[in-house]
Amino acid sequence: SQQFSALTEVLFRFLTEPKEVERFLTQLSDFATMNKISLGPLKNIVKSILLVPNGALKRNLSSEQVRADFIALGLSEEKASYFAEQWKVNSPTLTRLAVGQTLMINQLIDMEWKFGVTAGSSELEKVGSIFLQLKLVIKKGSQLENVYVELTLPQFYSFLHEMERVKASLESFS
Amino acid sequence: QLVSALHNLTRHVVYRGLTRAEDILSLFPENFHQNLKNLLTKIILENISAWRNEAQASQISLPRLVDMDWRVDVKTSSDSIIRMAVPTCLLQLKIQEDAALCGNNPVVSALTVELSKETLDTMLEGLGRIRDQLSAVANK
Repeated sequence: SQQFSALTEVLFRFLTEPKEVERFLTQLSDFATMNKISLGPLKNIVKSILLVPNGALKRNLSSEQVRADFIALGLSEEKASYFAEQWKVNSPTLTRLAVGQTLMINQLIDMEWKFGVTAGSSELEKVGSIFLQLKLVIKKGSQLENVYVELTLPQFYSFLHEMERVKASLESFS
Repeated sequence: QLVSALHNLTRHVVYRGLTRAEDILSLFPENFHQNLKNLLTKIILENISAWRNEAQASQISLPRLVDMDWRVDVKTSSDSIIRMAVPTCLLQLKIQEDAALCGNNPVVSALTVELSKETLDTMLEGLGRIRDQLSAVANK
């Protein structure tokens, strides 16, 4: 059962950091060597095991339901309980990851700003008006796009006021 | 030739920001017709602030924000999670391209952007900093 907990640890580390594929595969092959199992069958077992947490995440299953699923699949009670425990501990992170993967349209990634004063122009020798320049970094599909926009001061204060209203609205739905 | 001269006169007045009658009167040559000079000065003075505002509005600039709308949605389901309740904000910015380039037909485009709660909080932090900097400059 120490084997099982070591394997579970490797699995959850991968689930919480799904980009670390290289590391996951290395850890699996280390596990196989240490426990004198061949890598091929181990990979197949791992694939089947991983189906359970992924399905559970999609359907918002509780840890009792995960445990029941594993027992139904033939895992011993002790191991199923252990896995379900780990599931409970990790599920906030895993849920956050899944929500993060949800489709977003033109997601705002970053915002930079500068403001300055227009000193003069070809039409007006002396001006002295303040403007705010925003650079919005937006994710369109898989590419990032920069959008530049200029605001007058009254527009800026109005924008700030509206964004505070948005925040209040988002908080009332959380 | 007359129109061109008038145009140059008004442009000069707007450019230099002349606001007093004496300054404008001094621009005319010595032997200029007295009544015409006064009439022209009077008309120019009446229009000066409108012309200056228009010059400022049609200055070259980055694209300008013209309007802004928002909407809060609650995401209830997706292909990665079947049941959830995640609020998200859709922000639509109406942006007008460089006024100086468009002349009389300004091109306005609408950009819709999605912000998560975290992004909005970060943005508000940034906007708050801008407001603080503006207050600091105003109080100097």
